Formats: sequence, C-alpha cells, structure tokens
Amino acid sequence: MRFLYEYAHYAGCFALVFIGLYIVLVKHNLIKVIIGIGLIDTGVNLFLVTTGYIRAGTAPVFSRLAEKPEQMVDPVPQALVLTAIVIGVSVLALALSLAIRLYGRYGTLDLRKIKELKW
Amino acid sequence: MVSPILLIAVPLGLAFAVLLVGFISRKLVKYVPVLAMAFNLVVSLLLLPRALTEPIIVRTGSWGPPFSIHLVAGPLGLLLASLVALIGLMVAVYGTDYIREGATRMYHVLYILLLTGATGIVLTGDIFNLFVFFEILCISSYALVAYRGDKAGIESAAKYLIQGAIGSSLALIGIGLLYGMFGTLSMADIARNISSVSPLTVFASMAFLVTGFGVEAAIFPLNAWLPDAHSSAPSSISAILSGIAIKAGIYTVARVLFTLYGAESVLLFVAILGLVTLLIGEMSAFSQNNIKRLLAYSSIGQVGLIVFALGMASVTGVTGALFLIVSHCLAKSVLFLSAGYMIHRTGSMEISSLDGMGQRMPLSSLCFTVGAFSLIGLPPFIGFAGKFTVIQAAVEQAGSFFTVLMAIALVGTVIEGAYFFRIVQRLYFKPQSQGSPGETKGRQEAPVSALIPIVVLAVMIVATGVYPKLLSMVLKPAATDLLNKADYIRHVLGG
Repeated sequence: MRFLYEYAHYAGCFALVFIGLYIVLVKHNLIKVIIGIGLIDTGVNLFLVTTGYIRAGTAPVFSRLAEKPEQMVDPVPQALVLTAIVIGVSVLALALSLAIRLYGRYGTLDLRKIKELKW
Repeated sequence: MVSPILLIAVPLGLAFAVLLVGFISRKLVKYVPVLAMAFNLVVSLLLLPRALTEPIIVRTGSWGPPFSIHLVAGPLGLLLASLVALIGLMVAVYGTDYIREGATRMYHVLYILLLTGATGIVLTGDIFNLFVFFEILCISSYALVAYRGDKAGIESAAKYLIQGAIGSSLALIGIGLLYGMFGTLSMADIARNISSVSPLTVFASMAFLVTGFGVEAAIFPLNAWLPDAHSSAPSSISAILSGIAIKAGIYTVARVLFTLYGAESVLLFVAILGLVTLLIGEMSAFSQNNIKRLLAYSSIGQVGLIVFALGMASVTGVTGALFLIVSHCLAKSVLFLSAGYMIHRTGSMEISSLDGMGQRMPLSSLCFTVGAFSLIGLPPFIGFAGKFTVIQAAVEQAGSFFTVLMAIALVGTVIEGAYFFRIVQRLYFKPQSQGSPGETKGRQEAPVSALIPIVVLAVMIVATGVYPKLLSMVLKPAATDLLNKADYIRHVLGG
C-alpha cells in the first residue's frame, strides 16, 4: 500500500497518456483525435509537475524565515510545464483550425472517408 | 566580436518585424527572409573558424552552464547553422517570386520561424530548450504544409500534425524522466552523470526521446507523414522540409544517442533501422508517378543511409553521415526548386508531363540533372564523396558485418539510379507530348529569382564534389564534436 501511496500520481499521469493514445489510435472522428492529443498533453504536463513535487511542500518563496529549502517544491518543472502548456495550446489551436478547413473541403470529419493520399 | 546568440535573436526579431514591415510596404515583405538568412549566413561563417579551435559557450543571464540555458556553438552546430542559413537564403530568394497567392505575409513569418527553430536546435545545449525550438520548427512546418489550402495540403498537414504532436509529447516524457533522475536540463551535465545510474533505468528515457524526435527525422516506422507532407507543400517549403527539417531531427537523434547517452549498444539496431528505412524509401520511390512524391520517398531513402552511417559510430562513419547530410541538403533543394517551376509550367506533377523539358527549360533541367546525379553518387558531384566516405567507413569497421550491410545499402543506390535516370531520360530524350492544347513550344525558362538559387546550389554541388577537402576540413572536427562526449562535457562545464 505504501508503494501505491508514493507512486499513485505517476500511475495517474501515465493512465491519462495511454487513454489519449488509445483515442488517437482507435477513433475515426478528427475532433476526437484532437481531444486525444489534448489528453496526452495534459498527462505529460501532470507528469512533469509531479517530478518536482514534495508532499505538503510550499512554493519556493522565502516569505518566512522558518521555511527550509527542503520543504519547497522544485520550481523548474513548473516553469517547463508553463512552456509546454503554451506549446500544447498552439498545437491544438492549429489542429482545430485545420479540422475546420478539412470539414469545409470534404464535408466530413470521419478520417476513414478522408483518404485521398495514401502510401 | 559577434555572439552566436544573434543567430537566433535576429531572425526571431525579424520574423515578427515582417508584420510591421507589411504596414509600411507590402512589396518589401518578401525581402525580410532574405535579409534574415543573409545575416545568419555571414555570422555563422564568421564564427565557424573560431569554433573549430574551441566551441563557443554562450551563457544567458550570466549564470554558468549547469544552471542556465546555454548555447554550445561547436563545429557541428555552426556547420549545420551555416547550412540552414545557406539553404534558407537560397529558398528565400526563390520564394520572392514563387509565393504569390494566399497570405504571403504569414508565409514569410512562418518561414523565418521554421529556420530559427532549426538554427536553435543545432546550437542549444539545454535539452528542454531544444524541445522548445523543435516545437517552433514543427508548428511552423505544420502550418506551411497547409499553406495552399487545397485538399491534399490540409489533409497531409492534419496527418503530419497528429503524428508530430504525439512524437513531441513522447519526447517531453523522456525529458521529464531525465529531469526526475538528474535534476538538471543541461545536456552536458546529464551526460556527465548518466553513467552513475544503471543502464536499464536510463533506457526508458532514451527510448522516449529517440522515438519522439525520430518522428521528425523520418526513421522507418515513424515516417508515414513525410511523403504526403513533402509532396503537398509548396515546392519551396518541400525543399526546406527535405533539406532542413529532417536534418534537424537527425541531428537531435544523433546528439541524444552520442552525447547524452553515449549508447554504443543500441547503435547496431539504429544502423539496421537505417538500412530498412533506406530500402523501403528507395523501393517506394521507384514505383511513384508523381515527381514530388518520388523526391519525398527518395528523401526517406537518404535519411536511411545517413542513419546507417551514424550507426557505425566511427569518426569516418560520422564524417560520411555529415557529408551525406550536406550533399542531400544541397541536392534535394535543387531538385525540389527546379521541379517547382517545371510543375508550374506544365500544371501537372506526373513524371510523364516532364517530357522534353530539356528543350523548354534548359537551365532548370541541367541543374535538376546535377542534383539527381549527385544523389545517386556519380563522381564529379558531392554525393560521390559522401557515399565513398560511408563505404570507406564500413570497410574500416572491425568484422565483415558492416561490409555486408553496406552491400545491401548499395542495392538502394542502384534503385535510386534506376528512377533518377528514368526521369533524366524523359527530360532530354523524349519529345514534348503534342496532345495538350494551349501549351506553347519553345523556351519557358523559370524567372531569374528562381534560377539564381538553383544555379548557385548546383555550382556548389559541383565545386564541393570536385574539391571535397573544402568540406572535409570542417566535417572531421564536426564528427569528433559529435562523437567525443568527454570533450563536450569538458568544454561546456569547464574543468
């Protein structure tokens, strides 16, 4: 049980990534695929935050002298996640705008019907 | 005393200045990419001699390397940065006339951003910073593939985006794992500490990183997006994607494998993966009727050969791989650029429509032939020097295993020869088809703005082919830069 308590958040992050991957691989609707990509992004971001997480830790700001650096969470992963979120949002925005244009050209979002290009 | 950081800062600033220039004069907009890339070319060539003696380390915010985001402008980084700038400059000149329709201002913004991303990738020494530049490159190339807004463009952009987004998420997981283990993002610092943990623990992060970045490098199971994206994009963008974007991916994979992990045990697997990529790419290229798809598949084949050469992990092997990177960059840009106006003139991408182009567009056809012969590896061109070095490396390798693999790889070259000779034969020895009305006979050469870059690149192919020392004196230090992990760590972290 102790193991579960320690590592449950990692399992949660990777579960999100795998759910997202499953959606991308299995679903045929482009919007659902984009949602899947969004889920993968969220899972990865959560994972990054958890690498620097300390249970009951505080923000790394020396507002009270009594606080020790050991009790502070690592700020670097949070800065990384902030960047990763911005990148993820722009990718999703681009994907959705492509989906709109695709719908305009083909009249459908079903990826099985959009098959002009093949290997 | 110029700093390598200008190579990133100036184009990034100019990219957004495009929109401001657009308010003043719409005609000036198309010259901004030319300006940005000319600046980059001059600066990177100025810095190259200094980097050959010792890598230039740029600290940002006056913090020393393990803590800050730092740039490492070594021989390899600056060599690739000047290559990016050279191809970027040529394609920018080509683009001044070629890109007429659509949101041209956005094209130029995205174009500069793409090249800034590529420059950043090869110069940075921080793994997360590398990821950010990688995303800059990827996002701008997704958008540029869809630039024309036709069915094929949007569809292939969507395909490219989905695969690329998953790839970069996987790479980010790998970076997260590395940070969790080592608490640092500096590549030199990670490389120094990587031997302190068991190989099995770092293997997961390596697999994530190589798979993630391998999508952009188009290594075999991850390259389904490439033929569609390269063939549906405007020709100038195809040239950049084939010439620069794939190379940025290969550079990243090589940096991760050699510098970050120093992974000798997986290199044989990498070499075989390269071989499979090569054969599949060349065989698919052989059966294509669409000229741009053919060139795209041939890019896959060349990537396979480069990865194969990298897998040998000897100085000669890596030098050969870098030779091939340069030669493929030059040759594929010439091919895509000259094919661009041929397609424009005939209105069709079918190979059969190229009949008799040797009379209609003599100069473009000549340069196309130079590029094609260089890719096959015929002697007076640079491709010969590259392939020759790779074969030399394979023979030098202990045991005959790599010699056997190289023999298989050369089958790919034979196939390559078969399809390129077929096209060149059509260009020169077939009369122009009569049936299509409205087609005028006689010369219809591409405009001067297109001919200048094509001819310059073709001349460079011949010049470096006749005198390969010109390149190999830079390539040898670059190969050692990639292979010698201890030196890299020492230069960056000092001591």
